[in-house]
Amino acid sequence: MPLSVALRWWYSLKRHTLMAKKIIDLKGSILSFTVLKLYNDNIDETKQALADKIAKAADFFIGIPIVLEPQVELKNPTYLALLIEYLRQLQMIPIGIRSEDPAIQEQAEFAGLALFPKETSKKKMPKEIEDKPVQAAAPQPVEEGLASAMRVARAVRSGQQIYAKNRDLIIMGSVNPGSEVIADGNVFVFGKVMGKVIAGSSGAEDARIYAKQLNPELVCIAGVYLLAEDIDDVYKQSFVEISLNNDKLVFNNKILD
Amino acid sequence: MSKVIVVTSGKGGVGKTTTSASISTGLAQKGNKVCVIDFDVGLRNLDLIMGCERRVVYDFVNVVQGEASLKQALIKDKRVPNLFILAASQTRDKDALTQEGVEKVIEDLKADGFDYIVCDSPAGIEKGAQLALYFADEAIIVTNPEVSSVRDSDRILGILQAKSRRAEQGEEPIIEHLVLTRYNPGRVDSGEMMAADDVIELLSVKLLGVVPESEDVLNASNSGEPVIMDEESKAAQAYKDIVDRFLGEEKEHRFLTAEKKSLLKKLFGK
Repeated sequence: MPLSVALRWWYSLKRHTLMAKKIIDLKGSILSFTVLKLYNDNIDETKQALADKIAKAADFFIGIPIVLEPQVELKNPTYLALLIEYLRQLQMIPIGIRSEDPAIQEQAEFAGLALFPKETSKKKMPKEIEDKPVQAAAPQPVEEGLASAMRVARAVRSGQQIYAKNRDLIIMGSVNPGSEVIADGNVFVFGKVMGKVIAGSSGAEDARIYAKQLNPELVCIAGVYLLAEDIDDVYKQSFVEISLNNDKLVFNNKILD
Repeated sequence: MSKVIVVTSGKGGVGKTTTSASISTGLAQKGNKVCVIDFDVGLRNLDLIMGCERRVVYDFVNVVQGEASLKQALIKDKRVPNLFILAASQTRDKDALTQEGVEKVIEDLKADGFDYIVCDSPAGIEKGAQLALYFADEAIIVTNPEVSSVRDSDRILGILQAKSRRAEQGEEPIIEHLVLTRYNPGRVDSGEMMAADDVIELLSVKLLGVVPESEDVLNASNSGEPVIMDEESKAAQAYKDIVDRFLGEEKEHRFLTAEKKSLLKKLFGK
């Protein structure tokens, strides 16, 4: 999953930077960009269409970052370069491209643009989770008030991935090896954890993980992670709470005592 | 009411075809009309284990593609009445099967009065395996007591719960059964093999039966006779128990603990 991969990636970067004196901080962040969808690979027609659009509100487009998303095959190899040039003339800042087409990706690399993944994660994940009520609640246009926890009433099996966006996640069964459970909020597992658990996946540092029994492949809160071998065996016997304190994961197996 | 049973595992070489052959034979021996279908197109094995490889004229792919009728392709077993085999094609690949084609074959078999339609799944989680499980009412998960096999079974259970017709149409979920094959209690005791309880706990599926590791299985395969027909064999007894439990009989699980070898047996090997 790109999200967890990204999290691990930025945390490993972050760990390296922390070892030295702190000069920079790399943080994961969700930003929104303007996407320019291209339905035509004729540069003159594209330029004309852009000019028409901008004529309506010139100020609005100055200095905005733009992500290109070609919807057609770009047969003209100079198209992308010319388009980027033109966008810069219009004082827009083309920063990246979103396409699965290897030819386009190659052109983008030449043009110095970043590659963005397709928007697959949002659509794919609710399909994997067969819980009907969960699916219904998945699209949340306005995040106001109480978003109740996502509840999965079974074991999460190898290869499955559950993502609770903007809310807590409750797993009634076990989290089997080779599976991943991810939440932007807290994660509660009433079975055994043998896969990966990620809480606070959008950066919430107060997120916590609770598990009846923990023997995970990885635990991660807000990008700070530990692998199985780094977790003390005493925390693998009974109910445990994991929280994040000063960029360190803290295990507590006494909270029920 | 016809029932479609898929025998699946994820991992290859764990005993799916052996289990399919023995369970379908066992069900037919109990008087049911049974058809066993080999979904492993391109790597057909079921006909060998059932001992009918020389009688395959038309196969499953021919029927799916409309090149032969179901009647022409069904091979009647010579030993057990009411048992029919639908062999896979050795020369085609898995793309030769289509969902509509498979559906038609299964519907035709149901209309023909078959009590059980046993689908012997290919290994893997690709199209062939997904087609084999798509129409299932019950699933028999074949697992060896070994970590990678259990992991793959877990994966296939997830697919059963998400990508079968029952799941897609929001019907009652597929009934899952676990068959643990190649079980060797001696090696479990010495820590070389996973214990049955650990496998059951991880997969959270009800145990249908344990088949002990046995040379008879290989011998039976080589002689083209489902191992369940080898009355002497422990594997046969295990499969008979499995069939009985599948049909609703309560039977205590056997072959879970190591046999105590007497001194003489130890001395003379067996």
